Amino acid sequence: MDTEFSDHEELIEAYFERGWTDGLPVVPPSEKSIAAMLAGAGLHGDEVISEIPSRNTIVKAEKLAINAVLAGCRPEYLPVVVAAVRGLCHQDFAYHGPASSTGGSAMVLIVNGPIARRLGINSGNNLFGQGTRANATIGRAVRLAMMNLMNTRPGFLDRATLGHPGKYSFCFAENETNHPWEPLHVERGFRPEQSAVTVYASNSLGQVYNQLASTPEPLLRCFADALCHLGVPNLRGFNQSLIVFAGEHAEVFRQSGWSKGDIREFLMLNARRTIADLKRAGRRPGEITPDDASTWKAVFERPEDILIVCAGGAAGSWSACLPGWGNKWTQSVTMPIDPGGVP
Amino acid sequence: MKLFDPTASPVERAVAIAPRPQQLRGLRVGLVENTKFNADTILSKLADRLGADYGMAVTRMVRKRSPSHGVDEEHVEALRRISDFVVSGIGD
Repeated sequence: MDTEFSDHEELIEAYFERGWTDGLPVVPPSEKSIAAMLAGAGLHGDEVISEIPSRNTIVKAEKLAINAVLAGCRPEYLPVVVAAVRGLCHQDFAYHGPASSTGGSAMVLIVNGPIARRLGINSGNNLFGQGTRANATIGRAVRLAMMNLMNTRPGFLDRATLGHPGKYSFCFAENETNHPWEPLHVERGFRPEQSAVTVYASNSLGQVYNQLASTPEPLLRCFADALCHLGVPNLRGFNQSLIVFAGEHAEVFRQSGWSKGDIREFLMLNARRTIADLKRAGRRPGEITPDDASTWKAVFERPEDILIVCAGGAAGSWSACLPGWGNKWTQSVTMPIDPGGVP
Repeated sequence: MKLFDPTASPVERAVAIAPRPQQLRGLRVGLVENTKFNADTILSKLADRLGADYGMAVTRMVRKRSPSHGVDEEHVEALRRISDFVVSGIGD
């Protein structure tokens, strides 16, 4: 099999032919670009980044750097990719389930701290959409690493029924400069000046709209409803969920003085369905009994299972709910980002 | 221009296969329930059949933290001490 090419387009096609891409063209690496990528994180090629014992998987720096080049990353993005891969390999994340399930989760990467601003990771308008290289390529590098280094290929160890567009890439930063509360990584024990990435598995993103509510309770009823519709997987057991409040909705909480704790308390009480509802919809077995109309199944078991992040544009009455995958069979993890010697 | 292989194969590990029981009568069976819907039901039915057909006794059914996790080491040790063989089931 050829490994030397004189034609650039043939080289790109060779990556397709070998099944090494995510369906989009890749940036062909060179010795020089791989070395530059490794230098971006201060790594040597033979360093072990992380392992997944249950998959007999060992991720080494050089291979990860090759995937980052393929994805179109700049070298300075690699520290985020490394930290995200370490998150995927963390035992609490329990990689096999969210990566292989029919649920078809995207791996949501939430970047906090100074590195997010330095790399220009979008935390504002259209942050889930196209147009920002760091968002697009960091998430893509992680997905390529999953495919090429962890055998998570569609139809093999990726058994997604539907998949999710975010499986190409799903990376954004939290808006830490215009925020009613402390950001996610600080809430999880990091200092504000530290950088960290939170890895979270979710197979859907529902935008939540409310233009009229100017106080927290009616606004949060929309979120409670979005988190417990009858088709949401979270009603089976207890999951984590991620809520991303964008500017106008975040401002409602700022003006009201509501804390994250207040929001969580409200959602703990109001994100719920009756057992009768669940039985009517076939989400619970058995006949409906008289008590079922007044017996409730809550979506959340613990307040901390509700992840709250502020990001998105300042204008517009939109926010988002991203239910977590798998009945707590995975937990989101927040990993420190080692900038690799870059201040 | 050179093609760079971005893939890595799983690391090969030697795994010793436990010796198969020579006969089934009267053995002590452990069960591993993986938390999938109905996994415990399937395992319980299986245990009933093994008891009726071979006089086996269930020593313990342990529950994994989730289908995504391996069996906790403390459960492995307990099953090793009190069972002749173990059945792991999957539901759904």
